[in-house]
Amino acid sequence: MSTQVALNSIHLTMSEIKTNLVKYQNFIRLIREFFYSRKIVEVKTPSLLSTPTSDVYIDSIGVEVNDGIQKANKRYLHTSPEIEMKRLLLKGSGDIFQISQVYRDNEQGSLNSNEFSMLEFYRLGFGMHQLIDEVIELLIALGHSTDVEKVSYSDAFIQNSGIDILNTDFDDLKSIAKSHGLNSDFHWIEDLQTLLFVHLIEPKIAQIPICIIYDYPKDQAALAQINGSVAQRFELYINGLEIANGYQELQSREDYRFRFNNELIKRKKLSKTTPLIDKQFLNELKDGGLPYCSGVAIGIERLFSAKSL
Amino acid sequence: MNYNTSQFKNGLKLMLDGNPCSIVNNEIVKPGKGQAFNRVKFKDLITGKTLEKTFKSGESLEGADVMELEMQYLYSDGEKWHFMEPESFEQFDLSETSMGTAINYLVEQDSCIITLWNNNPISVTPPNHVVLEVIDTDPGLKGDTAGTGGKPATLNTGVVVQVPLFVSIGDKVKVDTRTNEYTGRA
Repeated sequence: MSTQVALNSIHLTMSEIKTNLVKYQNFIRLIREFFYSRKIVEVKTPSLLSTPTSDVYIDSIGVEVNDGIQKANKRYLHTSPEIEMKRLLLKGSGDIFQISQVYRDNEQGSLNSNEFSMLEFYRLGFGMHQLIDEVIELLIALGHSTDVEKVSYSDAFIQNSGIDILNTDFDDLKSIAKSHGLNSDFHWIEDLQTLLFVHLIEPKIAQIPICIIYDYPKDQAALAQINGSVAQRFELYINGLEIANGYQELQSREDYRFRFNNELIKRKKLSKTTPLIDKQFLNELKDGGLPYCSGVAIGIERLFSAKSL
Repeated sequence: MNYNTSQFKNGLKLMLDGNPCSIVNNEIVKPGKGQAFNRVKFKDLITGKTLEKTFKSGESLEGADVMELEMQYLYSDGEKWHFMEPESFEQFDLSETSMGTAINYLVEQDSCIITLWNNNPISVTPPNHVVLEVIDTDPGLKGDTAGTGGKPATLNTGVVVQVPLFVSIGDKVKVDTRTNEYTGRA
């Protein structure tokens, strides 16, 4: 785990460093106790994978693994433990959580890093809103306020910009972007939605200590179930900073194949590497797919920093 | 010359909607799922206004040929304010609009910073603190040095500043040009 987050300020004395490390340790302990008390099992999945992620905007870091002399194999550091944890769910693990270090290439800026700690957990039989409630309970267990604002993606747009995001097509969104003096040259509607979210909505959400945005447009479903025009996906924002991303999970093999392939088509369009789809995972989904469940990934360093504010 | 978002940093001067602007704040927003963006705060160097734009990471913008030079304020002819670069003796003039609030603080022979865009002056930054003379103010109450409230005083540039009661006509006072506040007697 990256205890570096406890040492972020440069002018710490030795005793302050010690204090902060203990503070981080207690933070992790509270997280573990939260899950242990709910009988959610802690797991540790492999971080060296044979397939890189197919996510269009996430890049895996490749490494070489030697198997004897001159027998080098390419492996990829996991960008999230999602697929490996879903493999466990398929094997009947039941509710699980994991705290792991994850690695991503091409990250930049003070809020992003090539490696960070991620808390990921899955709850069988949970729908999206049930999981949101549990995330809020976790925040409270970590000492956060019970005052949480829950707003749908669509309402967040209506309230803060007057834009009816679910019923505005690609061309109209381009005109809206132009009217705000923004570039409208995007291949896909979801990127334009994200641009407007980052430009118009996030600065408003920044005024809210704890905010849950849910029901993302279906074009931003990632690996969440789609229900009508929205995806059963949510994000947690603390003071405008994205902390967590959760889904009511896709279940069928066909859905996974389609979503993975969609990402690869996009990667191709952007001239990025197009890895093979994780065949083994698709195979494991063949008998009925993933059980009905919801899962969420939480950025640990960001959550820790938000707690020490 | 063009600058890519990865070269963005505070103080970088770029062209935006036809005006030269300076980056005040550059934040990279990389959603967990989704395209990375740079959310950037700019100061328009001509209007002085702050604006926010969001760029796709990797986008590029044209650099602005902007220079900041220390110059001496020579005089005003009522329409234009004239300045001279002390080494080359090159002279520049600015209109009242471009002068902005700097007209409140500059007296002849003072030094200040002139911002040039394509070698044309676009704005003036006076020193943070200037010394000006009180030309009009109500007489203060004798002996009241505690200064509960204060009173308005007109200074030799025409600007009105709130001063303590003991300040009287003819006094030289120090003024913070960023806040238009009295900071002491000179």
